[in-house]
Amino acid sequence: MARLAIEGLCKGWDFPVIDDLSLDVEEGEFLVIVGPSGIGKTTLLRLVAGLETPDRGRILVGDRDVTRVPPYRRDVAMTFESYALYPHMTVAANIASPLKARRLPEDEIRRRVGEVTRLLRIDMLLERKPGEISGGQKQRTALGRTLVADPQVFLLDEPISHLDARIRHELRSQFHTLEDLRRVATVYVTHDYAEALSLGDRIAVMGNGGRLVQVGNPRELFEQPATLFVAEHLGQPTINAIEAELVDVDDRLEAHAGSLRLPIAPAHRAALTKVQQRQVTIGLRPQHLRPSDELPQGVALEGRIDIFEALGSTGVMIVDAGGVRLTALTSPERTFDHGADVTLAWNPEALYFFSPVDGRNILL
Amino acid sequence: MRQAIVRGDPSTYPDWFDGKRRQRPLIVARWVPIAMVGLPVAVLFAIVVYPTIWMFYHSLRDTNITGLFTGNHAYIGFANYGTVFSSDRFQDSLVHLLQYLSFGAVLQVILGCVLALTLYEVVKSNLWRTIILILLVLPMMLPPSIVGVLWRFLLTPSNGAVNQALLDLGLIASHIEWFNAGVSLWSIIIADVWNWTALPLLIIYSGRVSLPPAVYEAARVDGASQWKVVRRITLPMLKEVIAIAFILRFTDAFKFVDLVYVMTSGGPAQTSELPTYIAFQRGIREFAIGEAAAYAIIIFAISAILVTLFLQYMKRVMRAQGLA
Repeated sequence: MARLAIEGLCKGWDFPVIDDLSLDVEEGEFLVIVGPSGIGKTTLLRLVAGLETPDRGRILVGDRDVTRVPPYRRDVAMTFESYALYPHMTVAANIASPLKARRLPEDEIRRRVGEVTRLLRIDMLLERKPGEISGGQKQRTALGRTLVADPQVFLLDEPISHLDARIRHELRSQFHTLEDLRRVATVYVTHDYAEALSLGDRIAVMGNGGRLVQVGNPRELFEQPATLFVAEHLGQPTINAIEAELVDVDDRLEAHAGSLRLPIAPAHRAALTKVQQRQVTIGLRPQHLRPSDELPQGVALEGRIDIFEALGSTGVMIVDAGGVRLTALTSPERTFDHGADVTLAWNPEALYFFSPVDGRNILL
Repeated sequence: MRQAIVRGDPSTYPDWFDGKRRQRPLIVARWVPIAMVGLPVAVLFAIVVYPTIWMFYHSLRDTNITGLFTGNHAYIGFANYGTVFSSDRFQDSLVHLLQYLSFGAVLQVILGCVLALTLYEVVKSNLWRTIILILLVLPMMLPPSIVGVLWRFLLTPSNGAVNQALLDLGLIASHIEWFNAGVSLWSIIIADVWNWTALPLLIIYSGRVSLPPAVYEAARVDGASQWKVVRRITLPMLKEVIAIAFILRFTDAFKFVDLVYVMTSGGPAQTSELPTYIAFQRGIREFAIGEAAAYAIIIFAISAILVTLFLQYMKRVMRAQGLA
């Protein structure tokens, strides 16, 4: 068993995709890399797997430098976004392929394939071919192929992104419970923040320019996002980002945006005075902005409802408040009319302040 | 202000095409679709179905060239077939055909496969791949009669380029008589392989290009060796493509006559004759229309049976992979 260490990794073609990226994944740790599509997450996995050669930097599995080692000697296993099953082979033969490549004896292979398929509950499909099984079963077969290899490092590339919502949720739980995955260093790539928050021991948010924007445990990332990018990426609906100017009014500090006047909590005020920045981007999560009767102690704010969506477990409204579009949540049983006036309430303690220049969280 | 749209009145439709001419609805007379399907069917009937029936009819009659034009021919049952099956000439030609199929057609597919996969694995630049492909495909663009003349010239025993090269390399001690009995069929096969290897090559190459790259990456992570990847992944995944290339060369082999005609005329002493060539010889040269028709029907039957078996096999393979 071993940890995975990535040191100063660079990779680019016409433009840099991975830029001076460093990351440690401890033995037994489940690290989720999250970020929008096309940001270089898959490239990072491919570099670790050895399918691409880095321009600079080192990759270590345990104490072994594997940067120039061919994929199969790295002791890593990878599942592909497209599953990459061998279409002409049965499920059993697909799962057995890494063991066959290592020339293990036939009965040993059969025993391990049997174990893994029972664990993943696909043991009744052994003689089927990939063309004859469902998407979820294909995903389990692909996962079985990596599990059976018993590697030091697991790399999972968007393993459940292409399945429908119900099966996705069902399979998400499999990643919680699979002992083999939880014992070794696992890197799991996804663009779905819910998967990241649900599965990750730690989350690494990847941003533009091939760098990690923030690495930390899920709670930390959700509650103390280092940048607006992180805050926007984690959380659904997306956090409200309000371009505002800080203005001293009498002995209070207010943020002005459009005709909105947002009083700043005293705790924030001291910190904001210190950084002396007047133009800020205010972040306010929709769950902290509710109809005033659901949040009686909050600060009130008037607006008109543009769109209201009743989603069953919650209601989402998009409100025009003094020229600013805000998203707010309501409790599930309520309904609102489009175009109706509404009084919302919010908690000043829940605001985030980001720099409008580089998106950094000013208060961190 | 939105204009009311009146159903069936195109002048009220919003101008989505923005200046470009609006497409008129496709309204055609009833006979147009019938003619569109009917014409090709009629042509197919005229050039395929009718001649086949005509041929079968004459294979049961003692038609010769004068009889053909005067209408003076009589029903003789399966006598023509009897003549064909009992002739040594036909039996020999079947052996030649088998030899031609198992060395010519099979060699073309194997060679095409090796060349296609080597080209794909070894040459990584797209430009070079294209250049090499064009060079390899060139022989296929020549008409077979030219290929025949060319190879007769190259294989000339006394001072042909092939013999000269083999002598210079010290591979042979004396001239090979390329057009002697027992050798001439091999000469034809060599010319045919040179002419047609590019077809299976093109088919298999394009098949290889369209295989999903992720599968190969999975194999790399698994640690399968290069040879194992080709044997256990590429070839099985290309099974249908290779089968199609083989069927194409195989069916061509049954109507193969041009190189034989140009290079050896079936000789010497009929040792390089194929069934089609005899049919051509008996019918067009010696005017035994009835007997030639029997030849043609026999060839037709053999190839129909073999192709049907092949298609059955294909269907089974496809079904096993869940493709059909």
